[in-house]
Amino acid sequence: MALVRKDLRLELRTRETIVAMVLFAIVMLAILQFGFGTRDDDLTRFVGGLMWVTLAFTAVLGVGRSYVAEREQRVLDGLLVSPVPRTVMLGAKAIAIFLYMTAVEIVVIPLVGVFFVKGPYWDAIGWIAIAAVLANICIALSGTLFSGLALFTRARDLILPVLFLPALVPVVIAGAGATHAVAGGPHDMSEWRGYCLFLLAYAILFALVSVATYDAVFDD
Amino acid sequence: MVTARGLVHAYGERRAVDGVDLALAPGERLALAGPNGAGKSTLLRLVATLLRAQSGSLEVLGEEIPGGTRIARRGIGYLAHDPLVYLDLTARQNLELYGDLYGIDDRDRRIDDLLERVGLLGRAEDTVRTFSRGMAQRLALARMLLHRPRLLLLDEPHASLDARGATLLDDELATATADGRSAIIVTHEVERVARVADRLMVLRAGRVVLDEPTAGLDPMAVRRRYEEVAG
Repeated sequence: MALVRKDLRLELRTRETIVAMVLFAIVMLAILQFGFGTRDDDLTRFVGGLMWVTLAFTAVLGVGRSYVAEREQRVLDGLLVSPVPRTVMLGAKAIAIFLYMTAVEIVVIPLVGVFFVKGPYWDAIGWIAIAAVLANICIALSGTLFSGLALFTRARDLILPVLFLPALVPVVIAGAGATHAVAGGPHDMSEWRGYCLFLLAYAILFALVSVATYDAVFDD
Repeated sequence: MVTARGLVHAYGERRAVDGVDLALAPGERLALAGPNGAGKSTLLRLVATLLRAQSGSLEVLGEEIPGGTRIARRGIGYLAHDPLVYLDLTARQNLELYGDLYGIDDRDRRIDDLLERVGLLGRAEDTVRTFSRGMAQRLALARMLLHRPRLLLLDEPHASLDARGATLLDDELATATADGRSAIIVTHEVERVARVADRLMVLRAGRVVLDEPTAGLDPMAVRRRYEEVAG
């Protein structure tokens, strides 16, 4: 928990990452609103896609900053020479990213309802939030792994989105599907459950891949 | 403390460390010198377990590397060019973080003791960003000593320490032998380090070109010996 506490302390002091992520998400939703919703068209059937594309690009922004303090302040060697297992470092970064994404979603999920949904939405918020928690685990685990990989490359700012966005495609599909199943009309809980199970399986897969490879990422 | 045989590490085609043998006994302090690009910092990073050797064998604090890396790391104190502390955390928060990473039982008391010794107790609640370079490096000295390491690995420590920090470090190194702690000190200031080192090892192009005792020798004589072999 010391590493998570450190990340949160740094974020509370600098307020760089979460504020930037929330603003980016709001701006992106506004652009989508202007792009799609200037007339009275009902965008409810697109709401899952609009929400999760916004969240995916916001995740890229947040994950890209996950090792900024270590890199710019040249602290990484201090962590690496300590006896802490690399997987614990992975877990700590993943928890921080999870919390950042949760903060973004607290703003984004209601805003999507305001911007795009004409039918019933607010009674579906709880189900969307559950899917978002599962998606966040996927984003946090895959994001930590890819940001760790990109950390040791020169073109890290370019490489990270190239590696990370394709890994987010299944998360966007499942997140959008789960949202679509419950937003704007009668809830299709069977469909929602299927997408949530997919997200859970994807999270487990990335947890296993991360644990198996993270030592090699930092030690080789 | 450290035993290396035929250690090799290359960056691409260039061998930064090329077949180095090294033996460091408990309580021994080794000055590691050589011209720029000789492989000193790479060798230090190999011993610190921050790099992995491409061939050769390495044992640190009785642990084979890489097999026993995590156990060995508990006993390593590493002082680098950079202080390895977060600029936006306070001095105390940085030491608390490292104290937790090393699982130190008497963390808070140890932090107060060390901050007092490095003259930063009055600035403990200030962020490191407000510190001078010398103060940040004194905090790095406290960070290195926090978990009572048995092996000190110092990369040009006098280059960025202020006078107070340099004196503290020299005192620390002077008492290391009595405590059974060992040290490898990468340096360009051969005559300064000769005062506290027991042995001088000189690297050139990744290879050992001199490895001999310096105890009892005049620091200027050590400097002349270094210049003879370093080129």
